[in-house]
Amino acid sequence: MNLDLHSHSIKSDDGRAKVENYCEWIRKKELPLDGFVLTEHRQFDDESDYRNLEDEYGILILKASEVETDYGHVLIFGVNTDMRHAYDFGAINLSLDHVIEASERCGGMAVPCHPGRPNVGLAAHYHERGPVNSVTIIETRNGGSRAGEDEASIHLAEAYGYRGVGGSDAHLVSQIGKCATRFDTPIRNEADLVAALKNGDFEAVSCQT
Amino acid sequence: MSDVTIDKKLIGEEFDVIDIVVKQDEALTFARACGETHPRFTDPSHENFQIPPTMVAKFVGRKIMPEGLKGFFVGTFDAGKVVDIFAPIRPGDKLRASSKIADIYEKTGRSGPMTFVVHRMEFTNQNGVKVACVDWRMVRRTPLKAE
Repeated sequence: MNLDLHSHSIKSDDGRAKVENYCEWIRKKELPLDGFVLTEHRQFDDESDYRNLEDEYGILILKASEVETDYGHVLIFGVNTDMRHAYDFGAINLSLDHVIEASERCGGMAVPCHPGRPNVGLAAHYHERGPVNSVTIIETRNGGSRAGEDEASIHLAEAYGYRGVGGSDAHLVSQIGKCATRFDTPIRNEADLVAALKNGDFEAVSCQT
Repeated sequence: MSDVTIDKKLIGEEFDVIDIVVKQDEALTFARACGETHPRFTDPSHENFQIPPTMVAKFVGRKIMPEGLKGFFVGTFDAGKVVDIFAPIRPGDKLRASSKIADIYEKTGRSGPMTFVVHRMEFTNQNGVKVACVDWRMVRRTPLKAE
């Protein structure tokens, strides 16, 4: 199944898309997407309940976060209460090493995103400060990447032996599904997603035309 | 780092209130400028005649920022406005607009760290009904010092 692992709704300060409109767009455009993950900036969205939309559109909608670290932005999957006490999701200079360690200790998974992007990507920081040993997966396909950024991400993954995931980084409705991650096992909830990421049964796919 | 210090206690504090009477000719001019074609915005004889929703974004208070944030404007640029309309605003309505700082936050982007200030202007009509809210984001590339 294909999941877009990186998207933002109006819950993010720069998100301009309503979740229902993502669903409508996916169905209207017949996108090859079985679901998407909402990764709101510097927060975890506790209050929204998208189960009715899932039922209405037959699309899996999962919730995660995108936090900001000293090595750039990082997607956090399997967010839970323990994790939210382990570090401040609203901070902009978290330690990547700590975020990865704490996320995994609490049962989740941390994945540096758009690593080829200036300032907020892993590659630029690796170049200046060296690698972080606890990284195992990075986002190699990002729908918001400019020319050369995904190539830098893929190069980084090859150089360090990282697995790659894909996500659109959608902030607007028409951006959803530009990139995704293909899983070999069915994903029904956040726990399944974390398990699949840990098992390595996935590959990044680009759906850009 | 900027030498401007920001006091996050400013968040939520009302710092300006103004009264506005919405004039019909201004509403029509605004509608034309926006390219509105629906008669509810362009025809005063329409049964549901009202001002264009985004017109509330043009109103400004006497003060744009509280005293404690004046230094923020050096090197600041507009990061956009979000307009919420809760009820129609009719020409002739007497609006009270109150301003406060709704949020101050930092984030990092391609160009580096940024600080955002969210200026919120809430509009209430003569019947005490909240009719609109405009969130105006301003951003500086260099982060401010937070207290």
